[in-house]
Amino acid sequence: MRIDRELTTAELDAFGHELDALRQRTLADLGAADARYIRRIRAAVRFCCWSGRALLMLGWLPPTWLLGTALLGLGKILENMELGHNVMHGQYDWMNDPEFAGRSYEWDIAGPGDFWRHTHNHVHHSWTNVLGMDDDVGYGLVRLFPEQRWKPFYRWQPLWVTIQAVLFQYSIAIQHLRLDQVYKGKLSRAEVAPLIKQFNAKVLRQWGKDYLFFPLLALLLGANALAVVAGNGLANLLRNLWTFVVIFCGHFTEQAAVFSKESVLGESRGHWYLRQLRGSSNLSGGPLFHILTGNLSHQVEHHLFPDLPARRYAALAVEVREIAARYGQHYNSGSLWAQFATVLRRIWIYRRAPVELMPAVG
Amino acid sequence: MALMPFAWMRGLTLWLRPLRALVARGWLRESDVDAWLALLHPALRLNRVMAQVRARQWVADDMLALTLRANGNWGGAQPGQHLQLYLQRNGVRLSRSYSLTALHADGSLEIAIKRQPGGRVSPYLLERLEVGELLELGPVYGELSWPEQASGVLLLAAGSGITPLLGLLRAALAQGCSAPISLLHYVREQGQRAFVAELQALQGQYANLQVRWSLSGATADGAELRGRFAAEHLESIAGLAQRSVLACGPAGFVGQVQQWWQGARGQGELQVEAFTPPAPSADISRRAVRLGFARSHRVAEADNQRSLLEQAEAQGLKPAHGCRQGICASCTCTLLSGVVRDLRSGALFSEPGQQIRLCVSAPHSDMEIDL
Repeated sequence: MRIDRELTTAELDAFGHELDALRQRTLADLGAADARYIRRIRAAVRFCCWSGRALLMLGWLPPTWLLGTALLGLGKILENMELGHNVMHGQYDWMNDPEFAGRSYEWDIAGPGDFWRHTHNHVHHSWTNVLGMDDDVGYGLVRLFPEQRWKPFYRWQPLWVTIQAVLFQYSIAIQHLRLDQVYKGKLSRAEVAPLIKQFNAKVLRQWGKDYLFFPLLALLLGANALAVVAGNGLANLLRNLWTFVVIFCGHFTEQAAVFSKESVLGESRGHWYLRQLRGSSNLSGGPLFHILTGNLSHQVEHHLFPDLPARRYAALAVEVREIAARYGQHYNSGSLWAQFATVLRRIWIYRRAPVELMPAVG
Repeated sequence: MALMPFAWMRGLTLWLRPLRALVARGWLRESDVDAWLALLHPALRLNRVMAQVRARQWVADDMLALTLRANGNWGGAQPGQHLQLYLQRNGVRLSRSYSLTALHADGSLEIAIKRQPGGRVSPYLLERLEVGELLELGPVYGELSWPEQASGVLLLAAGSGITPLLGLLRAALAQGCSAPISLLHYVREQGQRAFVAELQALQGQYANLQVRWSLSGATADGAELRGRFAAEHLESIAGLAQRSVLACGPAGFVGQVQQWWQGARGQGELQVEAFTPPAPSADISRRAVRLGFARSHRVAEADNQRSLLEQAEAQGLKPAHGCRQGICASCTCTLLSGVVRDLRSGALFSEPGQQIRLCVSAPHSDMEIDL
């Protein structure tokens, strides 16, 4: 368990001011290097996706099929994480470039960008790890914290989570449809209908591209359409598994904290920062690893400063770690596999109903 | 490197229609299509207007005329209008408005750029921009038009206000306008008399054209006219009361012309266009501002204290929003003109086209947002 010092109101304010100042310093320093970086990331995405798709046109030949699939998967991961997720947070809005405008960017994944901007940018980032408010805590499928009410359904959660990991992009996409609320009758079908239409249109476009257009193109070129379908499918699967692992490590590690609805009433800026720090967990690794996670390996910094360009998180982490230490707060960081192991442990442990505490016998 | 000549590239634009339809329906991403098109020709784009610099010519000590040739997406313009020009500096896409000084039959156009000392765009355009480079152009605006029916025309320009008037004058003379035309240009120094050689030549060529300059700076000795706009400067103009007047310059200058016009009770019409570079003060004490909502076609009396989101909602508008504390970026909106203050940091923003968050930004001047 994590051990944090409780902060007084004055300390919380000072803590908030320090992080605000850090944010302002970074904002004032944004410039050509950041713009060049995100354009290079986009160029890398294009290179990976286009060259991957071109190689898949060569059929089942193992070296080209494997390399093509790997490149396409890599392109999709980069587009999803370092480009799409970060651009859609408005991290590059300061560039005034419509191609990197957070409000309109549409990413190469099943979920419509507008859905994500609501469920993730607004709900999850405002109410991070607040039970009953942040739907990302277990996505309604998994019980990860003892504070979550147990339901019989959770007995099989290792299975649910495996299915979710394989279909991760769809699980994120349907989150906004709030089908559980429709099922319970709290939301009418009519209210959800336009969202379902938007969802279907996006999924259709994604499938049309990966499983219809490029395979047909292969047929036209006299290549093997099946190899193209398989390559696309495997690339999407790779991306699903990778994003699942990274995202589950963000807030569900052993030392990540959850919060009650009551605790966030009238929350100050400093308190909000503190909650982000306590509810998030980092992954250690090299520069390439950070890029592949979309810098969500710096989940703490991402949650403190969701609108600062992610390439800045590594430098910010040094200062955040120092500030956290000064205020007696645990800074949750570890290697990918160490952190993920604690997530798996939570999934395994909390599938069981809580044991009723026996009254102590004298 | 271009794989085809410029003219072919312009012609190709028509054939891009199917791609445009796919992009509009969300099947393709425009920036990806543009990346492919740019391989065919650096100026080829699906929808964006890119223009190649064809020539640079100094027309005053502090003014440069640029001849540009736009790609096939350029929709044309009328003389007297101005266009947006986009330029990336230090990672930020800046946009500035420049008047068209000439529109040529071959589709090329000319704009003139005056140096704004300390500016972020004009010093680059004047000093560093090279022939052959590409610039992005934006929409064309402007209401000034040549008074075809007028029995005489008076053009009053101050500083770079000469540029739209020159565009109108050149077009009118080329079309054989025979009414008497007087042009009066107010500048500080001799060397700022933009297009002076061409205007003097035109004066020699067209008997109905009279051009004069008034200098207000220290080196005004020997000038025909001296000082800022004054009614005396117009005394020698024949048939002044019948003339239609076009005035363009800084807001102060245009205000003086309007004042004179109201007193003079002329029979022609008056058209004015004012521009004033923003000079935000640091004063954050409570004051009233005019807040424009472009999409809603509304202007509201607002104040400089409350957030734009609150004030928009007070007007009955329902902007998209989320956390209301600057985290989620749901309320991001485009600043069209004016100055906003970030309520968290106190920083001022005045770049047209800048993305701002309504919930943590307050007006700092009269302003307009894309809402």
